[in-house]
Amino acid sequence: MSLVKKDAAIDRWFLPGIIAGLFFTIKKMLANIFNRKSMPTLNYPEEKFEYSPRFKGTHILTVKKDGSLRCTACMLCATACPAECINIVAAEHDDPVVEKYPVKYEIDILRCVFCGMCEEACPVDAVRLGPEWQIPGVNGSNFIYDIRFLAYRPALKGGIPSTVEDEERHQAGI
Amino acid sequence: MEVKHLTEHYDKDGYATIKGYQKLGGYENLKKALKMKPLDIINEVKASGLRGRGGAGFPTGVKWGFLPNNGEPRYLLCNADEGEPGTYKDRLMMERAPHQLIEGMIISAFAIGSPKSYIYIRGEYFYPKSIVEKALREAYDNGLLGKNILGSGFNHDMDIYSGAGAYICGEETGMISSLEGKKGQPKLKPPFPAIQGYLGKPTIVNNVETLAAVTLVIRDGAAAFRKQGTEKSPGTKLFSLSGNVVKPGNYEVPLGYKLIDLINIEGGGLKPGRKLKAVIPGGSSAKILNKEESEKATLDYECLAQMDTMLGSGAVIVIDDTNCMVDLLGVLMHFYHHESCGQCTPCREGTGWLEKLVNGIKSGQGKLQDIDLIETVARNMCGRTICALSDAAAFPAMSFVLKFRDEFEFFVREGRSKIKGTSYAKMHH
Amino acid sequence: MPKCTINGKEIEVKDGTTIMEAFYQKEVPIAHYCYHPGLSIAGVCRLCMVEIEGMPRTQIACNTKITEGMKISNVSDKAKDSVKWALDFHLINHPLDCPICDQAGECGLQEQYMHFGKYEPEMGQGKVKKRKVVDLGERVVLDTERCILCSRCVRFTDEVSKTNELGIFNRGDRSEVGTFQDKPLNNNYSVNTVDICPVGALTAKDFRFKQRVWLLKNRESICTGCSTGCNVNVYFNKGGVYRLKPKYNSDVNGHWMCDKGRDTYKHLNVEARLTKGKKTEEGKTTECDAGELAKQTAQLIEKIKKEGGGDSIGLIVTAQYSNEEYAAMFELFKIKLGSNNVFYWINNQKTFEAFDGLLYRGDKNPNTKGLLRALSKCKFDQTWDKLEEKIKAKQLKIVVVLGPENQEVYPDISEKLKLLNSVDNVVWLTTNQVLGTELLKSCWQIPVKSTIEKSGTYINFKGLEQKIKPVTNIVSGALTLTEAAALFAGDEIPFDSKTPVKGERVWNEFFHHRGDL
Repeated sequence: MSLVKKDAAIDRWFLPGIIAGLFFTIKKMLANIFNRKSMPTLNYPEEKFEYSPRFKGTHILTVKKDGSLRCTACMLCATACPAECINIVAAEHDDPVVEKYPVKYEIDILRCVFCGMCEEACPVDAVRLGPEWQIPGVNGSNFIYDIRFLAYRPALKGGIPSTVEDEERHQAGI
Repeated sequence: MEVKHLTEHYDKDGYATIKGYQKLGGYENLKKALKMKPLDIINEVKASGLRGRGGAGFPTGVKWGFLPNNGEPRYLLCNADEGEPGTYKDRLMMERAPHQLIEGMIISAFAIGSPKSYIYIRGEYFYPKSIVEKALREAYDNGLLGKNILGSGFNHDMDIYSGAGAYICGEETGMISSLEGKKGQPKLKPPFPAIQGYLGKPTIVNNVETLAAVTLVIRDGAAAFRKQGTEKSPGTKLFSLSGNVVKPGNYEVPLGYKLIDLINIEGGGLKPGRKLKAVIPGGSSAKILNKEESEKATLDYECLAQMDTMLGSGAVIVIDDTNCMVDLLGVLMHFYHHESCGQCTPCREGTGWLEKLVNGIKSGQGKLQDIDLIETVARNMCGRTICALSDAAAFPAMSFVLKFRDEFEFFVREGRSKIKGTSYAKMHH
Repeated sequence: MPKCTINGKEIEVKDGTTIMEAFYQKEVPIAHYCYHPGLSIAGVCRLCMVEIEGMPRTQIACNTKITEGMKISNVSDKAKDSVKWALDFHLINHPLDCPICDQAGECGLQEQYMHFGKYEPEMGQGKVKKRKVVDLGERVVLDTERCILCSRCVRFTDEVSKTNELGIFNRGDRSEVGTFQDKPLNNNYSVNTVDICPVGALTAKDFRFKQRVWLLKNRESICTGCSTGCNVNVYFNKGGVYRLKPKYNSDVNGHWMCDKGRDTYKHLNVEARLTKGKKTEEGKTTECDAGELAKQTAQLIEKIKKEGGGDSIGLIVTAQYSNEEYAAMFELFKIKLGSNNVFYWINNQKTFEAFDGLLYRGDKNPNTKGLLRALSKCKFDQTWDKLEEKIKAKQLKIVVVLGPENQEVYPDISEKLKLLNSVDNVVWLTTNQVLGTELLKSCWQIPVKSTIEKSGTYINFKGLEQKIKPVTNIVSGALTLTEAAALFAGDEIPFDSKTPVKGERVWNEFFHHRGDL
């Protein structure tokens, strides 16, 4: 007895398969013509899709009440980043309570895989993945986001405040 | 009954001067001792069973026996840094009978062969210091100190050093550090002071009362000294009675005396209408005794050790039923927090933590777990540091919480004292 | 020779060994902060608690001597509980600013917590606040809040540097490390206090906030700052070298190194380096590949040799290269080129014998002994004086200079350049850009590799040979002198000398547990 199963005679004919496939396509086409609401595609860019609030898009650096950056330049995000797309240069702050702050915080968004590990790693709620997902740019340098873009781009309207405040932390004795 | 051996002449005028002291048989013991062999004196003290009066109760003769025979100069230090809350016996001894101390020190120095001794006086004791200074000058003038004392060929110099008011300098190695001019911090043991002490040389540190009692041992002999007191705690001892008693003061009683008798007979009992609540038997570092225990306790090293507390320096603090134990513990914890030298971590951080925990309860912010935490923190401070200050802070905390837990729990639940009814939470805001 | 057991394993130790030393010898991990093998015993952190059979309480390992038959354990429940509480006492007032603390990643508290701790904090009360970011002089910054008062730094200034600047002020949990009246801590060994600080209380200004330590790798090498040849760990990543830390070697530097030596990494980084070959001729500078320039040099030497013989070629050597490189260069000159014109460039002969009593020596070259040996082997004995004569007599047509790697210790460079002005061709082999070369008629600068990029042997002041391996590759186009010598002789470079070097990652506790963060 042969172990190879021979195709049935009908399978050697392609036509039934093609007709079955076309039937499905035509069914969908007709459904979309007569019931446009159920159509899954959008007319981008005129129409845009609303993602859930948990969507992980372009990064945001949060700010303190006084508008300065929340980031302490601990580099845990850069350490956690699997794509190694975060580049931070830290410096000494004049205020000894702040002590350390980033003079440079760059995200190479083309390398970013939007995994959200930076957000997870951040001990001070300084970096978040925001809702924006359209990332236009005309050349390579447009895709390296600096502090000015990450924290103060027009869409953020002067910066997103952090939920963690230094004063509260100090009061809690941390 | 109060017996007067050490304090026999304390009430006589002029006893603090050399003339008055010599008139009443002063420095006769020194003459006697200088004729003896040093080893015989040590053996006599060993035989008398005299135990250190400073707190630990270590047999004095045995301590002297630890000195190595390597020909190095030895130092004798008198610990007059009486800082234990509740204790004021050394102050009395120095004010009333400075020559007794000096005589005892010369005898002891002769016994251990020391050419130099220091009296380390507590910083706050300006007045006792001035008296001892005067007495020291008199002793030098009369040839009792210096070269060739009383023609015996024995040379000895004595000096006074004033502390700067740190409790920790009452610990012997802390005192040595302070005397060396360093920050008053206890030294790591081993090596013990008897091997490497002041300036790295063998050193004996004794309490004022111990050194004064040496004169009694020489005067009466070991057998007579042993007549008072118990088998393991011979002799008499000064007790500084304080707290809620009618007649607080220093009382000399034989060891083995009943604690309750000391309070009721010598101390004249409690104020009318008050009930005994607790007694701290040996200075603030000792574990507290509740009413039942204090009625059973006798004032000797072994009975109090059996009751898991200690005789310590003999400061009996009587607490009646108008006192809030949470409040009292707060005072004690503040003291130890303030006095911790900050060297060893458990003590440095633990004393502060205990104060914060007790203050938390006092301010009405406490939780029931905090009471357990006080006990746990205190337990973990015990025996894990260089010196005993950590234990001294932990013992009261542990015993207060163990024996008066209901008061702590009441405070946490109600936010006010069970005894006083004061709401500290309201007071603070 | 008492015998004892540590965690069930029987060992034999020398008389008078402490338990801590036995743990060190047997490489059994034990928690500790205040103990440091190079310092006296303080016994204050109370973390090295061990249980000894027959003793009612746990004892500290650092001050307990081993006696016959002692049974020691630091893994028993009792010992662990002691350690846990000692650690908790350390942590209750320690600020949780690990994110901005430079020590994070190599912090004693973090490591011990991961080993022995991992529990919820029991402290619910506020922490003690102390001074932060205290400037302690040129090189060190102090954070008294993070300090756990182990007193290592105080003991260091007392016992090792003997400068006694630091002390602990105040008492109890108000204790603070500091200097008297905030005087600066400016001795030449101040950064050692940063190294031995188990937490982030003392941080080095130079390294502060430059890089997180877990992003650095380290490899051992030697310091080239002076002839002591301290053993160091070089901390680097792809961005370059970030710092040097001493590595223990009882024969050379013990546990320490000087602050001046720590600065020697600065001229190794790419910003300070000569990355391409540079040809300066009549004021015009063109850049080219190092190997290419070396081949051109070979042709030039060949030409000059044919015209004027081997003795019209000169070589100036500084004592900053390895024995192997000297051997290769001298072989080239002596045998292949037939020149005896090798001149020894001494930078500061007068202060050669100076010594600060601890590590820092007046001779600022790492391999003076090695060079002298190589010179005497080839019977070269000429110095600058001879060179001056020969230059004036126009005997030299080309001079090859093995320039100093650390130009700071050669203050007479510009003076010497003036002298070389009258030589037709100067070939300067150097790690860093040499200033003032445009004054020369013709100067070809060939980039060479620095100490940390090559393997070689260096001989320190007392004749100890120290062999080092490459740490990292900073200027990949640069040549070693051995390679340059081969190229000058017209040979090709053997392939394996260009194999890239891989550093080892520092796997610390922080890294192991980073999933738990």
